[in-house]
Amino acid sequence: MLKKMIKCENLTKIYPLKNSRGYPALKNINVDVKRGEFVSICGPSGCGKSTLLNILGFLDIPTKGQYYFKGKNVSGFTDARRSLLRRREVGFVFQSFNLLPRLSALDNVKLPMLYNKTPNREAGEKAINLLRLFNLEKKARNSILELSGGERQRTAMARALANSPDLLLADEPTGNLDSVSSSEIMKELKKLNQKGMTIIMVTHDVNLASMTSRILEMKDGWLRE
Amino acid sequence: MSILNLIKTAFVEIRNNKMRSFLTFFSISIGVISIMYTLTLIYSMNYRTRKAIEISGPGRLNVELKNRWRAQQEGEEVVNDFLTLDDAKSVRRNFPELYMVAPIITKWVRLSDEMFEQFVWVMGVDLEWVKRGWIYKMKGRFINQYDIDNYARVCVLIEKGGWIKKPRWLKFWKWKDRFQEYVKHNDMLGKTIALGNSLYKVVGVLKEPPAEKNPKTFIGFGGWEPNIIVPITTAQRFLSGWSNSAGIEKIYIDTGSPRTIEKYKRMVKQTIKSRHGTKLLFDVKDYREVIKSQLADKQRDMITVLIIGIIAILAGGIGIMNVSLATIYSRIKEIGVRRAVGARQIDIMAQFMVEAMMLGFMGGIAGVIIGFLGIKYLALKGNMDMLMLRWWMSVIAVLAATLTGFAASLYPAKVAARLDPIEALRYE
Repeated sequence: MLKKMIKCENLTKIYPLKNSRGYPALKNINVDVKRGEFVSICGPSGCGKSTLLNILGFLDIPTKGQYYFKGKNVSGFTDARRSLLRRREVGFVFQSFNLLPRLSALDNVKLPMLYNKTPNREAGEKAINLLRLFNLEKKARNSILELSGGERQRTAMARALANSPDLLLADEPTGNLDSVSSSEIMKELKKLNQKGMTIIMVTHDVNLASMTSRILEMKDGWLRE
Repeated sequence: MSILNLIKTAFVEIRNNKMRSFLTFFSISIGVISIMYTLTLIYSMNYRTRKAIEISGPGRLNVELKNRWRAQQEGEEVVNDFLTLDDAKSVRRNFPELYMVAPIITKWVRLSDEMFEQFVWVMGVDLEWVKRGWIYKMKGRFINQYDIDNYARVCVLIEKGGWIKKPRWLKFWKWKDRFQEYVKHNDMLGKTIALGNSLYKVVGVLKEPPAEKNPKTFIGFGGWEPNIIVPITTAQRFLSGWSNSAGIEKIYIDTGSPRTIEKYKRMVKQTIKSRHGTKLLFDVKDYREVIKSQLADKQRDMITVLIIGIIAILAGGIGIMNVSLATIYSRIKEIGVRRAVGARQIDIMAQFMVEAMMLGFMGGIAGVIIGFLGIKYLALKGNMDMLMLRWWMSVIAVLAATLTGFAASLYPAKVAARLDPIEALRYE
């Protein structure tokens, strides 16, 4: 019943370094993620979790190996095509929220829709609905700087859902939050997953990882289930 | 992202960096002001030249005596000889195909009529004079061949047309032309007036069109205009002056076409030379060159202003480039976020370019407003060139400013677009 959404074959990422052969951040990663799964990638800092997430989210390209997304080999895609995939297929939630402080919460949520050429009014309505989903409709016009950490991360989640993507990538989404806000965010992620959203979450917190349906462990660029 | 959203984002950035934006506007607007000023001058000069040629004829040549003092300075032998009416007649005889050969003589003469007394410029002409530059409405008649042949003491007065709506700057102008007041307030036609020591009958009055409709208003060069016209033979015989009785001052020639100017310039020169030997110091001037030399000073001014303008607008451009680069370095994280949510390189480029173009555009608008007011002020102060301001000059000036913004943003926008999204996201 669960169809494959992601398939990685021998994914390798080597960062070029001066005066050496380069630093291998990912080594022959082979992994499949099915539609509707909630996967967590665990591991210590510097083990390559974020690099893998960046490749899965089309922000980066592998040095070697193949990456199939919904059956299509996307490893050789140009920057423009990867941008389109980022726009339509994935939503990002970052540890440091990565919201634009000069814009209001509403405008931040609208941003991906505007890049997707959604008409301004429609984008505004959809953004309000998304903020309502995360109990933030009253703070829609507030500047990001006026929101608490938890509110900021919920705004970031609303933004990640703006273009109704099939895949949500969360890079340490609770890393900058207190325990109450963390559990709220995890609850929201679980809710989204129950609605059918595929989620891949990077964390070094084993407790959080245990709340997901599948745990992948990374160490020194290697991945194991 | 739609252009409207890009503009909105640009506005937010401009508003958030008020001082930086103001400085850029400032230098861009100086450039725009000087562009507007230069365009007005160029337009005015072209207009004047075109109108001057239109009035004086397309193939205009002026035969004039050389400036004696200058000739002496240049080491030429100065002789006491003049152009004569017979020179004009022989040019006419030799080249009947010429459209106009008009001998001219001017005299500074005392006019008296009962209690009125005034020195005026009197011009002696023959019938050919009417062929070019006739802008008048005539009351009575003009001088005729009979008058010329018989040294008739008749004259035609020239009355100015006034203004339909007097410009404001003229309202502060207290000086009044007494002769014009005199002509305006007296029924001159048929009257007898004294010019020098003889009495003349006023047979006609030539009324110029109102200044707004008078092409001569905006030509503005050529110096004085005559007040009274008399037959050239009469002027020679009866009006005292510097020349001997045979002498005339100038011969205006119109070949009828600009193509034949060079040819007739040579031939007319030869004809007159052959009548005087090599002694007579005269020149056959192409009227277009006369205009050019009269406009040379203005052209120099214009080039200076243009250079200042170009430097200012370039400085503005460099300012924009600098601002854009500085903006990029302070917004690396933002670029990363935008890339992460799906912006392509071209979207990032477009955003920075629109921002820079908006800076140029808004600076341009500010410049146009200040420039417009400044030029209007100069026009109010009596600078006739500044009356030639046209709306499209503002459009060109704003376009130039916007284009400067565009050009200045190319490099920074490219830098921004090429940032690695991951590096940009990590940037603190």
